[in-house]
Amino acid sequence: MKILEVLLNGQFLALLGAAFAVIFAGLGSARAVGMVGEVAAGLVTEDPDKFSQTLLLQALPGTQGIYGLLTAFVILFRIGIIGGTPAELNTVQGILFLVAALPIAVVGYKSAIAQGKTAAAGVGIVAKRPQELAKAITYAAMVETYAILALLGSILMVFGIRV
Amino acid sequence: MSIVRMHKIAIIGLENDKEDIIEELMNIGVLHISDVSGKLQDENWTELVNIEENEEEIFQLALDIEKIKASLDYLKQYDKGKKALFAQKRTVDISKFNSIIENKDKIWEAVELINSMDENLNKLKQEKNKLENSINSLSPWKSLDIPVQLTGTKATSIFIGVIPASYDVNSLKEQLKSEVEESYIHIVSEDRDQIYIVAICHKSRADELLNVLKNHGFNKVVFKEMTGTVEQNIQNSKHEILKIEERITSLIKSIDDLCNMREDIEMLYDYLVVEKDRKETLGRLLNTEHTFIIEGWVPETEIDYFKESTGKWRWDCYIHISEPEEGEEYPILLENNKLVQPFEVVTEMYSLPHAGEIDPNAIMAPFFFMFFGMMVSDAGYGILLSLVSAIAIYKLKPKGMLEKLLKLLLLCGISTIIWGALFGGWFGDIVTQITGGKVEIKPIWFNPLEDPMKLLIWSLIFGGIHLYAAMGMKAYDAIKKGRIWDAIFDTGFWYIFLTGLALLLVGGKAGTIGKYMAIIGAILLILTQGRAEKNIIKKFTKGVGSLYNAVGFMSDVLSYSRLLALGLATGVIASVINTIGTLFGFNIIGVIVFIVAFFVGHIFNLLINALGAFVHTSRLQYVEFFGKFFEGGGKPYTPFKINTKYVNIIKNNKEKGERKS
Repeated sequence: MKILEVLLNGQFLALLGAAFAVIFAGLGSARAVGMVGEVAAGLVTEDPDKFSQTLLLQALPGTQGIYGLLTAFVILFRIGIIGGTPAELNTVQGILFLVAALPIAVVGYKSAIAQGKTAAAGVGIVAKRPQELAKAITYAAMVETYAILALLGSILMVFGIRV
Repeated sequence: MSIVRMHKIAIIGLENDKEDIIEELMNIGVLHISDVSGKLQDENWTELVNIEENEEEIFQLALDIEKIKASLDYLKQYDKGKKALFAQKRTVDISKFNSIIENKDKIWEAVELINSMDENLNKLKQEKNKLENSINSLSPWKSLDIPVQLTGTKATSIFIGVIPASYDVNSLKEQLKSEVEESYIHIVSEDRDQIYIVAICHKSRADELLNVLKNHGFNKVVFKEMTGTVEQNIQNSKHEILKIEERITSLIKSIDDLCNMREDIEMLYDYLVVEKDRKETLGRLLNTEHTFIIEGWVPETEIDYFKESTGKWRWDCYIHISEPEEGEEYPILLENNKLVQPFEVVTEMYSLPHAGEIDPNAIMAPFFFMFFGMMVSDAGYGILLSLVSAIAIYKLKPKGMLEKLLKLLLLCGISTIIWGALFGGWFGDIVTQITGGKVEIKPIWFNPLEDPMKLLIWSLIFGGIHLYAAMGMKAYDAIKKGRIWDAIFDTGFWYIFLTGLALLLVGGKAGTIGKYMAIIGAILLILTQGRAEKNIIKKFTKGVGSLYNAVGFMSDVLSYSRLLALGLATGVIASVINTIGTLFGFNIIGVIVFIVAFFVGHIFNLLINALGAFVHTSRLQYVEFFGKFFEGGGKPYTPFKINTKYVNIIKNNKEKGERKS
C-alpha cells in the first residue's frame, strides 16, 4: 500500500495544508479583484480620472491571497522545506499543520469574495461622490478584519505546533 | 487642538454696489458665505426677497471653461517644451494678468483653432486609414494589367473575382477545358484564404462559364469607382497618403507654434473659473428691490483683518458682526500645531467635528503614528516612505489635502523606522541573508517572528490604552458641557470595572486587587447606568444589562490583534523576497536575480503593506476610537476667495500673505 503511505506521510499532509492556504485564499482574491475590476472598468470608460481611486479599491480584496501565501511560507519554514533540511514529521504533526492552514484557506476564500462585493459597491460611491473614497475603503476594510483574524489564527497555530 | 470659533457676519448693501462688494469680498477671501436658500421658503422672508436668476450665464461660463480645458488637454499632448514632473503654480502680477485678459479675443481665437485642429487631425488620420486599407485590399491584384472597369471586349466577356482557397483550381481548369472550351483562366495571385482569378471567354459562352465558376465558389469582385489598372490605383493612393502626411505634419507644426499661447490660455481659464465662482455666489444672495443681504462666517483669527478691510469700503452698506448663539452650528476650521495638522486628513476623510464638539485630532495623532509604524514595522521601508514623501513635498509644494497626506506619510515613515529598529526589520532580514548569517542586526526590543504571543499581548494592551483614551475623550466632552456626573458614571466607573477585569487576567496579587476593583466597579455601574429610567426595577435591569458592554469592549480590544498580524505579514513576505533573491548564490546571475527580486519584491511589499496599514490604522480610529465619543457632521469652512488652478495672482509685486483655508 504505497499510496496510503504517501497519504499518511507527515510532510505530505503539511504541504497539503500549505497548498490549501495558497489555493483557496488565492482563488477568492482572484475572483474578488476581478469583480471589482469589472465594475471599475465600467466607471473608467466614463471618467478616466478615477483610475487611481478605483485601483485602490481593487487592491483591497487582494490581500487574502497574500495572507494565504504568507501562511504557506510560514508552514514551509516550519517543516524545513525552505531554508533548512526537511523535518521528519509523523502523521499527527502533518494533520496538525493541515488543520492550522484551514482558517485562512476557508475564511480567506469567502471573505475575499465578500470584500470584493463591498469594494465593487464602493466603486459606486467613487462614481458619484469621489471625495467619499475613504468611506468606501472603510466598508471594505471592515470585511477584511475577519481575514486578518483567520490569518492570525492560522499563524499562531503553525507557530505553536511542536516539530 | 481646537475648532476655531467663528463670528457671524451679515452685510446689507445696495443693489447697485452688489457686484463691486462681491468682488471685494472675494479679494479679502475670508468670508464663508452661508446658504440662505432655506429662507426663501420662510413665510417671513418669502414676500420680501428673491434670488437673482443667472443660471444661464453660469451655464455659458461652464461651457467656455470646458472648451478651454479641452484645448489645454490637447496642447499638453503636443507641447514639446520643458515639462516639469511636478508642476507648480506660476506667479503673475495683477496688472499683467489684466492686460492679458483684455486681449481675450485673441486667446479665444487660439482656443477655437486648437479645438478645430483636433477635429481636422482626426479627419485626416481617418482618410489616411481608409487609403491604406484600400491599398491593402488591392495588393493581391497588383499584377493584373487590364483596366479594372473592363467587363469585356467586342467578342469576349471578362470576369474578375475570387474563389476560396479550399477549392481546387486544377479541377476548375479541367472542368472548364471539357465544358467551356472557348475560355481562358488566369491566376493573378493566391494567399491563405483566397485565390484571385481572371476568367475570359467568348461572349456566347459567358453564362456557362459563370455556372462552372459559381460551382467552385466564385465571387465576383467589383472595384467601386475605380478606373485604370490596379497598379495605377495603388500609385494614386500612395500619392494621396503622402499628401495627407504632409498636411498632418504641417498641422502638428502649427500646434507647436500655438504652444506658446498655453500660458495665456491657462490664465484665461483661471479668469473664467473665478468669474464663474463670483456669478454663482451672486446667484445665491437674497435680494429685495433695491438691497441685498449676505450672511456668513469669519474665523475669530481673521476677524480683525476682515474689519480692517471692510472699514475702508466706500460703499453705503451695513455690516453686522455677532457671536454665534449657544448651540448654533457654524462652519468648521481646525487649528492644530504643525505635528498634528497632517493627521487632520484622517478625520476629514471620516467627518469633521460639529461646532459643539472637541477636535479629536491631537489625541488621535499619536495613536495613528504608532499603529501605522507597528503595522509596517520595517526600518528599510520606513526610510523609503519618508524619503519619497519628503521629496514629493519639496518638489510639489502641494496645498490642502495632498500636503497633509504627504506630511502624514512622512511622519508615518518615521514611525515605521522606529518600530522596524525595535523589531529588527531592515528590508526583512536582508543583512543576515546576504552575509549568510554571519552578520545580524539585532532587534532593539524583540523579534516578533520568534515570539508572536508577546507582541499579541502588547498589541492588545496598546488597544486597551487607545480605547481608554476614547472613553477619556467622552468624559472630557461631558465635563466641558458641565455634566461632571456623567463623566464620572459613564467613564470613571467603567475605568474601575475594566481595569479590575484586566488585572484579574494578570493574576497573582494584582489579580486579587483586580477582583475587588471589578466587583466594586460592577456594583457602581449597576447602580448608576440605569439612572435615566424612572421605574426602580427598570433602573436596576438596565444597570445590570449595561455590564454586557464589557463584551463589546473585549471584542474591540481583540480587534487590535491586527497590529500583530499586519506586522508579521510585512516581515515574513520581506524575508521570503530575500530568500528568493539569494537563491542563486553569489555569481553574475545570482546578483542580477537578487537586484530584480529586491527592487520589484520590496517595492511591491511596501506598497501593499503601506496601503493595508493606512486602511487598518484608519479603521481602528474610525470604528474603535471615534465610535466611542465622536459625533461629527460638521461642514468645512470654505471661504469665498480667488481660487485659481494655474496662476497665483499678486498685487503690486507684493505677495499677499498666504491665508489659511
